Amino acid sequence: MSNATEPPPRPHWLRVVLIGRRPRATLVRIVVLAVTCFITFKFILLPIRIDGISMQPTYHTGQVNCINRLAYLRHEPQRGDIVSVRLAGNSVMFMKRVIGLPGETVAFHEGHAYINGKLLDEPYVKLPCDWEMAPVLCSPTQYYVVGDNRSMPIDLHTKGRAERDHIAGKLFL
Amino acid sequence: MKIAFRFVLLIAAAALGFWLWTVFFPGPEKVIRGKMATLATTATFGSADSNLNRAAKAANLVGYFSDDAQISLDALGHGVRTLSGRDEIREASYAGFAALPALKVEFLDVTVSLGADQQTADVSCTARVYVGNSKDYGVQEMHFQFKRVEKNWLISRVETVKTLS
Repeated sequence: MSNATEPPPRPHWLRVVLIGRRPRATLVRIVVLAVTCFITFKFILLPIRIDGISMQPTYHTGQVNCINRLAYLRHEPQRGDIVSVRLAGNSVMFMKRVIGLPGETVAFHEGHAYINGKLLDEPYVKLPCDWEMAPVLCSPTQYYVVGDNRSMPIDLHTKGRAERDHIAGKLFL
Repeated sequence: MKIAFRFVLLIAAAALGFWLWTVFFPGPEKVIRGKMATLATTATFGSADSNLNRAAKAANLVGYFSDDAQISLDALGHGVRTLSGRDEIREASYAGFAALPALKVEFLDVTVSLGADQQTADVSCTARVYVGNSKDYGVQEMHFQFKRVEKNWLISRVETVKTLS
């Protein structure tokens, strides 16, 4: 005959480690965590893996980062921001730095960027550059984007005017 | 309980019927997506593929295009290249399959927009191309135009889209 005041038997330690003392609460926590992760990484912070040399030395191939898709809800992209420019979708994106804003002209002379004819201070450009490019005008919906690695030939570096609606977000880290 | 079970069974049967209908009678959008997938497979070949195999793939590739198809490619560092008609496309594809050591083509983020007449369709996608056995790849935003020719969807126009102008 068992004693009515005897406490219930303690669950096995492995069960406690795996599903906790209260399995129902654990299940709720798992569901909440999964939903939070899904919403965060699908709609807010898009995880990316950097591939290519165009943003060296700031970013290198293989680094993992996130795109903050809510960064430009309250304000527009600023000069110096590192943004992702989508192509047909979000599977592959260009990662570039904004140097020209809407309505501005961008040119390169002796490796230096000029905005509306004025030299742009770019401390993030560490590698030698000899680019020459005639001024190009950004329309009211365009931003001029370029990578930090200006040591590669200008023809092989993907750069140019990106439409505002192609800018998916700002680099998070 | 019996009614509820019958109701669930009915819904399951309806879902199965709908799925089978879409498998056996796919809509134009699904057909075009399938065409894009097989086009990428056809354009892909490895270094181990024989010349005969490559020639067969090149011949198959031409079959995706209409007689009056136009291809206009402006890839970074390669300038603009335009091909008009199946003959030019055939020559270029044979040359490409023979000259390249290996090629892997993927079409990502495929979006299909059917025309109002249901006889044409616009497809936008991102092409990712690996040449040779290199891990490096090129990406290019692309636009395809399909048209319906005797119950078959054929590509009538291909052009590159400049994401950064």
